[in-house]
Amino acid sequence: MSAKFRGVMQSPVTPLKADFSLDLPTFERLLDFHVRTSATAISWPHHKGESLNLTISERKLFAEAAVRVVNGRIPVTIHVSALAGEETFELARHAQQIGADGILAITPYFWNPSLEAIEAFFVRLCSAVDLPVLSYNSPSYLAGVEITGELMARLIERLPNFVGVKEASFNSEKFLEISRAALALRPDFAMLTGVEYLLPSVPVGGVGSYSAAGSICPNLCAALFDACMRGDWPRARELQYKVSWLWLLFRDQYPSSLKGGMVMMGRPVGPTRAPLPTATKERQGHIRNELERLGILDSEPHGW
Amino acid sequence: MQTNAPALAPGLVHTPATPFSHEGAIDFELYGRLIDFHIENGAQSLALPMHAGESVSLRDDERRRLVEFAIAHVKGRRPVIAHVSEAGTSMAAALARHAREAGAAAVVATTPYYWTPSAAMVIEHFSQIGAAAELPLFVYNAPEEMQGTRVTAELCRTLTAKLPNFAGVVDLSLDWQFMIELMTDAAQLSPGFQLISGTELMVSSVAIGATGMFAPLAGIAPLLVDKLYTLCAGQKLFEARHLQEQLAALRQAVKAGGVAALKAAIGAMGRDCGAPRPPLLPLDPARYQRLVSEMDAIASLRAEPRGW
Repeated sequence: MSAKFRGVMQSPVTPLKADFSLDLPTFERLLDFHVRTSATAISWPHHKGESLNLTISERKLFAEAAVRVVNGRIPVTIHVSALAGEETFELARHAQQIGADGILAITPYFWNPSLEAIEAFFVRLCSAVDLPVLSYNSPSYLAGVEITGELMARLIERLPNFVGVKEASFNSEKFLEISRAALALRPDFAMLTGVEYLLPSVPVGGVGSYSAAGSICPNLCAALFDACMRGDWPRARELQYKVSWLWLLFRDQYPSSLKGGMVMMGRPVGPTRAPLPTATKERQGHIRNELERLGILDSEPHGW
Repeated sequence: MQTNAPALAPGLVHTPATPFSHEGAIDFELYGRLIDFHIENGAQSLALPMHAGESVSLRDDERRRLVEFAIAHVKGRRPVIAHVSEAGTSMAAALARHAREAGAAAVVATTPYYWTPSAAMVIEHFSQIGAAAELPLFVYNAPEEMQGTRVTAELCRTLTAKLPNFAGVVDLSLDWQFMIELMTDAAQLSPGFQLISGTELMVSSVAIGATGMFAPLAGIAPLLVDKLYTLCAGQKLFEARHLQEQLAALRQAVKAGGVAALKAAIGAMGRDCGAPRPPLLPLDPARYQRLVSEMDAIASLRAEPRGW
């Protein structure tokens, strides 16, 4: 059930018009761009897609667009995390109705839930849909709230459609704690990193990642994954350093900086909704210089 | 100050426990035997007394005597890296000076204890230690042990500019973002700069570019540690995954109980090193039993040497 979630999967940003309303034609173009430039799956709307700054009806509208535009060429998963749990379940049921291939959900926001509460949440979510469910572990953004190895094992034992994790601790100990517990019980459980930390994860059971930089440098992302799977560590190191440098560049005011970088690649996607800032001309210029220095401007597609 | 400290590639570094007698004194006879055990079971270097060796529970005179004893006992068979961390900069610098006089090959130091220092304070601290040591200085990055104080890649850039004998980082943050940023900068750092894995979670660190490992679990499972290190050093990372998982299981079994559990586990392998010093307490019987049964569940431990 989870073998389809591997490689570098793309989570598109959310294109906005100058008045901050949704820009559907550009979203369709962006989805198509990702499919044509070797994305192995689409997942929307991650935090990078400003999920928490979109209304539920906006999220449903673009989720439908994603499934329609991708049209079965690669799997589409919907990120259903919302501040209110009830909205998460609504989005999950909607994802199933529109024909998505799976859903992704983070541990509940804000409440610093106990392990028991996290377990109850995923049990309810996995029971609410007949779709593969991926979990999202992000302790550094959620005040240390995280899925332990023991909890992961309990969830896998209880839930046949619990198929993977987007692991965003980027820490050897936490990754191994989860991968050891999960892969012993479900060998095809998808161990995925939150952004392209493929070099440190693939040797210990990782099978792919979501992507921060894929709308800037899809060729680099694909080459990194290939080098890791081949075990070509010197080559993978060189590519990983480059991708991670971009992550440091974009992590600052994510995803505003990323949207700024897309302007420089000929793929403008508009502003970012408050409270996130929109990248200034100066910021865009700085990003352009870095992209030039790294050789991205010459080696990656420009425009749509 | 010496400007070109000889590079040291410490490789697989064992970090011996410090045995205490029933009366709580350092048991030097046993310590000598433990050092020999490490040398005979894969240690390419020794680092002592690390936190695993209860450095912070030793008096200043004991700590100096321990380093002198170890270097005399090793007799040049392996390089000895002296651990010189202190809260106060002048105290750490004094230990570093002593380490050089005693014949250590290098020194290793954490960020200052207790003060939750700013970056500027950390830089001053390491600068004075490095200047006093006139030996390769390894900086130990262990935010979890140091109340969140981190060594950053930027801090390493600054240290490199100030300190010619800054030799590398021993990383216990296990943080991929930090390690990759650090190694991306490595070309700007001193030639021979080394990233060293601070514990046996080595595969990801080596993928990123680490070239050595501090191995606190080597007193329990030296064969497993040696096999993992050898595969990693040969860049056989996929092949290392199974051993990595076994050592991660051992680390998880020991970690919650800290040094008390580490000593209990070493003892369970037939190498009794006594109880830890207060304020650490020995494991109570229930926790000891749980530790032993978790160790029993790790199949690879059955091949490990028992006794001395």
